[in-house]
Amino acid sequence: MKHILIIGNSAAGITAAENIRKADKSAKITILSSEDYTGYNRCLISYLLAGDIKEDKLIYRSKSFYADNLITLQLNKKAARIDPKKNQVVLEDKSRVDYDILILANGASPKFPEIKGIQKSGVFGFRTIRDALGMLELVPIAHTACILGGGLIGLKAAYGLKKKGLDVKVVVKSSQILSQVLDKYASEMFKRRFTENGVEIISGSDCGEVIGNGDAKAIKLDSGKVIACSLVVVGKGVKPNIGLLEGSGIQCDEGALVNEYMRTNIANIYAAGDIAQTYDPILERPAVNALWPNAIEQGMAAAQNISGEKKAYAGSVGMNSVQFFGLPVISFGITRPLNEGYEELSSRDITNDIYKKIVLKDNIVKGAIFVNRIENIGILLKLARLKIDVGPIKDKLLRPDFNFALTRDLAYDKEEFYL
Amino acid sequence: MKKLYYDVKKCTGCKTCEISCAVGHSPSQDLVTVILEGNAALPSVKVYGAEGLNFLVACRQCKDHPCVNACIASSLSYDTEKGIIFDKEKCVGCWMCIMACPYGAVRHDRRDAKSVRCDLCRDINDPRCAKSCPTKAILYMEEKK
Repeated sequence: MKHILIIGNSAAGITAAENIRKADKSAKITILSSEDYTGYNRCLISYLLAGDIKEDKLIYRSKSFYADNLITLQLNKKAARIDPKKNQVVLEDKSRVDYDILILANGASPKFPEIKGIQKSGVFGFRTIRDALGMLELVPIAHTACILGGGLIGLKAAYGLKKKGLDVKVVVKSSQILSQVLDKYASEMFKRRFTENGVEIISGSDCGEVIGNGDAKAIKLDSGKVIACSLVVVGKGVKPNIGLLEGSGIQCDEGALVNEYMRTNIANIYAAGDIAQTYDPILERPAVNALWPNAIEQGMAAAQNISGEKKAYAGSVGMNSVQFFGLPVISFGITRPLNEGYEELSSRDITNDIYKKIVLKDNIVKGAIFVNRIENIGILLKLARLKIDVGPIKDKLLRPDFNFALTRDLAYDKEEFYL
Repeated sequence: MKKLYYDVKKCTGCKTCEISCAVGHSPSQDLVTVILEGNAALPSVKVYGAEGLNFLVACRQCKDHPCVNACIASSLSYDTEKGIIFDKEKCVGCWMCIMACPYGAVRHDRRDAKSVRCDLCRDINDPRCAKSCPTKAILYMEEKK
């Protein structure tokens, strides 16, 4: 019996398992997870931290899902390395698991800065349910929390901890928050929103040390300033877990490199989700776009190709949707062009906190930011993915009545719904 | 499965579909009560103008369902017979579905921070927009193969 082994029990791994099972009733499917929890909605940990949802809502696939689909889920199993010559995965406990087909869906991990004291108790990444539950344990006794990094993850932690009543300070090395996903103007809008809601943003500063005996008691900034805090959250991005691929011969760049069929350079090894580096049609190069929707679609694509339905994956795009203190924003692609040749269209309604910006290159949509009026941005995302020339409707893109019907002549799909 | 189709030439842009959708998805399901109580649901169908014609935009129950793939809260699922099923209780208002929908068919209700989308009026098994359209511009029929 063919054995399909999947490393990783989150969006990509579970979706791959589920879809392989739909197509193949007899294959043996095993998922190895380094965590101790059934499949959960990873992105909801910030809602759990904020108290917006209870833990039961986190469940993505309950234990019965694995039983019903004859998928063996092995928790607390950490893969250490791959041995493609023997078709085996070597676990940390030195045991070996054979496979016929291997899917790397082992995700990414928070980047921790190499500073003194970072390993102290009370310092968290914000990636797993254990991180959220660990932070919640400290909430009743902590007074101040310091967030290192002003990206999405850091700010989600800041938002959640503020809602829990803590004094929250965000330490940002750059001059702006959310600098990876927003431009300066939108970033300022959110900085204002955070500040008005009592979150202090300390920009242009970095944390040099976490102080305390065993437990974190304070952080020391590179400016020398010391801030007392018993909870520290590291939000400095994530990196694909490619450590276990070392020596395997699997080609890596930032992540594991795959072709459009989600296959690595080794014929029976696939990769999907946050570990995979896939073609990005907006950047026009392979990129790691470590996001839940991409992981689901990559898991699905891997499953289709493993099941013999040869289907090319359309590629991943960097995109984000988030809401802080009642202000929603969706952005994707290139939102602040660094070199020439780009055109920026924008509109602002200061009274209503509305901001829209679209970035074009040769009349192809390359990115967009919609703050507080977010409807219809998905149309632009599709136009960007398919590299459609939007020249004929350029003057309409930012209008409040912009809609799908205006794009239908650009022929990106065979229209069947309008008779 | 049955889906909604639109005979664009017949649409006059009267927006009866929007009203019947909003009323039908409101607590009382009665126009006058909805107006008096001020609790109308946001319609999940919307009529837009383009080049002198009117186009109705609503969920197309896509087979490849990018919104379901994007949902981080398991509030969306896809059923080959019924289409896209939305469990509103699970929605956390992250708006990933709005980001993912290539038709702009998912709406943003800022009142309860839940997304709004066409459910084909499964409660009465007969979409109210199609039923109420005075010019029969909205057709609820078996999917074209």
